[in-house]
Amino acid sequence: MKRIFLLNILIFFCLVSFGQSPKELWTEANNNYSKANYEDALAGFKKIEELGYASPALYYNMGNTYFKLKQIGKSILYYERALKLDPSDKDALNNLQLAREFTLDRIEEVPDFILNTWIKSINYSFSSDVWAYIALVLLAGVALFLLFFKYGPTSRVRKGSFFASMVFLLFFCISIYFSWSQKHVYNLKDTAIIMKPVSTIKSSPDNSGNTLFILHEGTKVSLLDEIGQWKKIELADGRQGWVSSLDVEII
Amino acid sequence: MEVNLSKKIILLLGALLMSIAVWAQAAFTVDVPKVVGLDENFRLVFTATGEPSNFNPPEFKDFDVLAGPSTSTMTSTQIINGKRTDSYQVSYTFILQPKSTGTFSIPSASVTIGGRVYHTNPVSIEVVKGEGSSASAPLGNATSSSGTSISSDDIFMKMSVSKGKVVKGETLVATLKLYTKVPLAGFENVKFPSFNGFWSQEIDTPSNIEFTRESVNGKIYNAAVLRRYLLIPQQTGNLIIDPSEMTCLVQVRVSSGVSRSIFDDFFDSYQVVKKRVKAPSIQVNVAPLPAGAPASFAGGVGDFKMSVKLTRDSVNANEAVSLIVSISGSGNLNLIDAPKIEFPADFEVYDTKISDNTSGPGAGNSGTKVFEYPVIPRGAGVFEIGPVEFSYYDISAHKYKTLNSGKLILRVGQAVEGTASSVASLPMGINKQSVKSIGNDVRYIRTGVSGLARANHFFFGSFPFFVFFILIVIAYFAMDRFLSKRIERNRDIAGVKNRRALKVARARLNVAESLMKQNLYSAFFEELHRAILGYCSDKLNLSMAELSRENIAESLQAKSVSKEHIDELISLIDTCEYARFAPDQDKPEMSSNYKRAIKLISELEV
Repeated sequence: MKRIFLLNILIFFCLVSFGQSPKELWTEANNNYSKANYEDALAGFKKIEELGYASPALYYNMGNTYFKLKQIGKSILYYERALKLDPSDKDALNNLQLAREFTLDRIEEVPDFILNTWIKSINYSFSSDVWAYIALVLLAGVALFLLFFKYGPTSRVRKGSFFASMVFLLFFCISIYFSWSQKHVYNLKDTAIIMKPVSTIKSSPDNSGNTLFILHEGTKVSLLDEIGQWKKIELADGRQGWVSSLDVEII
Repeated sequence: MEVNLSKKIILLLGALLMSIAVWAQAAFTVDVPKVVGLDENFRLVFTATGEPSNFNPPEFKDFDVLAGPSTSTMTSTQIINGKRTDSYQVSYTFILQPKSTGTFSIPSASVTIGGRVYHTNPVSIEVVKGEGSSASAPLGNATSSSGTSISSDDIFMKMSVSKGKVVKGETLVATLKLYTKVPLAGFENVKFPSFNGFWSQEIDTPSNIEFTRESVNGKIYNAAVLRRYLLIPQQTGNLIIDPSEMTCLVQVRVSSGVSRSIFDDFFDSYQVVKKRVKAPSIQVNVAPLPAGAPASFAGGVGDFKMSVKLTRDSVNANEAVSLIVSISGSGNLNLIDAPKIEFPADFEVYDTKISDNTSGPGAGNSGTKVFEYPVIPRGAGVFEIGPVEFSYYDISAHKYKTLNSGKLILRVGQAVEGTASSVASLPMGINKQSVKSIGNDVRYIRTGVSGLARANHFFFGSFPFFVFFILIVIAYFAMDRFLSKRIERNRDIAGVKNRRALKVARARLNVAESLMKQNLYSAFFEELHRAILGYCSDKLNLSMAELSRENIAESLQAKSVSKEHIDELISLIDTCEYARFAPDQDKPEMSSNYKRAIKLISELEV
């Protein structure tokens, strides 16, 4: 009986060591990174990713590892993924900027409408989850002020709480929209990074199409459409074309 | 161009040149004029270099052998740079005379030199009727014309082309020849044609004009090639080659009848006469190339072969590599354009280097043309180049042919550090005070909290989010309901009292009236006091304990009751209290107070 129990414990430990927890993998990979064993670090990070976990920190570290391995395209991809989860990540932004220095394509971005930029900067000052919490708090506020409005002892209190509830309702709607839009954008999968050192952008989704332009590894494109093994892409400056699905990786 | 040599000298020189040419090794050659007159005797010379033995002359069926073989030997020793060369030459000379006109061949002769048997090539000799041997006498000092007039029969020029009908781009050779029966002192004012509509190139111009005997219309002339041109028609239709002209200086023997001495008779005196000769223009019919040329047709007409190769199979990015296409064959090689090659779009392609290597002047239109395409791949990867296609028009097959090189594979490795310009230039500070960036690297990784969560997890729209959302909504409605219920209840108690106030007051007043009738003074006022206070209590929703004069006045004021009514009410309460607690002194009138109360309550009710 005792022997079986010991055996069980042994099996249990074997299982634990075999299927390492994400946290252990994380620590191990970070150690490998600090010892400049980038290959091993990358393998560790990849294992975590395969387990179905994600976090801005994980993607950020993967981006760094790829950068150290001089795989600029991959590193840009992972920085972008980190930023997709947490757009306010200053480190990821900085490193992405640096990684972009190594790409060949300089694409003139058409400047966004200024109001749009402001709204976006407000939107991404908090993550979707934070906006969702804010929305819930605001909703509670709306409810509270509505009650005050209905049952306030004096007319002044009632008037004030009506305005307050309306303002809270407006902010509630805005934060719900921000939270939703961030989740929506994350799930869109409408941007991709060019992964091949040189990929030709064709005018039609087959090899016979005219070559419109050339993109190099690390260039960010937005995806518009997909036909078979071809994806319709658009550059930041508005140019469009078709690229083989093998050449790009979705952020 | 001037030729001041007599035929004799030319022949001597020719013989000398030949002897030089065959010096080095053993050889056996034959020398004979191409054309002879019927009644002319001519020399046939077999020359053997080396020490011949066992000379075996051919059989002369169509000729009479007048003399020969006469053997002559020549020995020479030469020391060049201390190296001694001995040569030994033996000539066998026959003097022959043709038996009849026509073209006859002299079979080969053989000789043994140093143990090896050498043969001459069979030669053909055309025998024409001829106007006597004078024109073609090899010694050249005999002329047929005894006068100063020289007919165009005696000397003329002729332009001939190798092909009269060609397709556009097909090569042909034009030859300008001078035919003469009279000795020439030289030329001047030579005008060669401009070949309009042709691409032309002069080929193998002889440095010395060498005359050979040829028969034209049965007459023997000394003919010399003046110029040869390689022509490639660039237009279609009937192209005309312009006439060419020149002035010949003809030596004419003057037989003067004035001072006839024995010397004059013996030594001919010569006069130089200018004669303008003109080669007539000729036509070349150029047909256009047939339709349906392949896309890769680059203007080549003839017969070609192509080879394509890369200077290196694998390079690093930003390193130069060349694709070399060489086209060899015969045809208008000079005019072939560089084949268009599709390089991968990321390649930097530089100007094509073209080197022409047409072999020897004799061939003229055959050789090799090499196109070198220098390229620099800018990105890494495995690239396919080509296929390189070259199409040409095959004249003999009368159709277009396409040569295909197949695909070439070029492996491009990563750029070697330092060659890429984009990475090397890091922004440097301009200002003296600003902090200069020496290097650049990514910021360090996150080592702390991983913050790992299941991927694609959002609080918004998740179950807890909705639970919270619904909880807040439910809480709101619950609170709303609770508060409204409480207020409803409160409002109901006051409302009932309010509604009952008049009724209760009336009942009390009725009791007070009956007491008044019974004249029960203090009981009346007690009842009246109770009726007024009860009414106030019910109406103003105040408890009995709170019914002070101040509270009543305040509440009534809040209900915006007029000041008169409030004062009246207060004074009525005062009167009642006064009547109740001070009954002995002057008593207030019962009926008037009763009426005041009735009036006040009905007015308050309004």
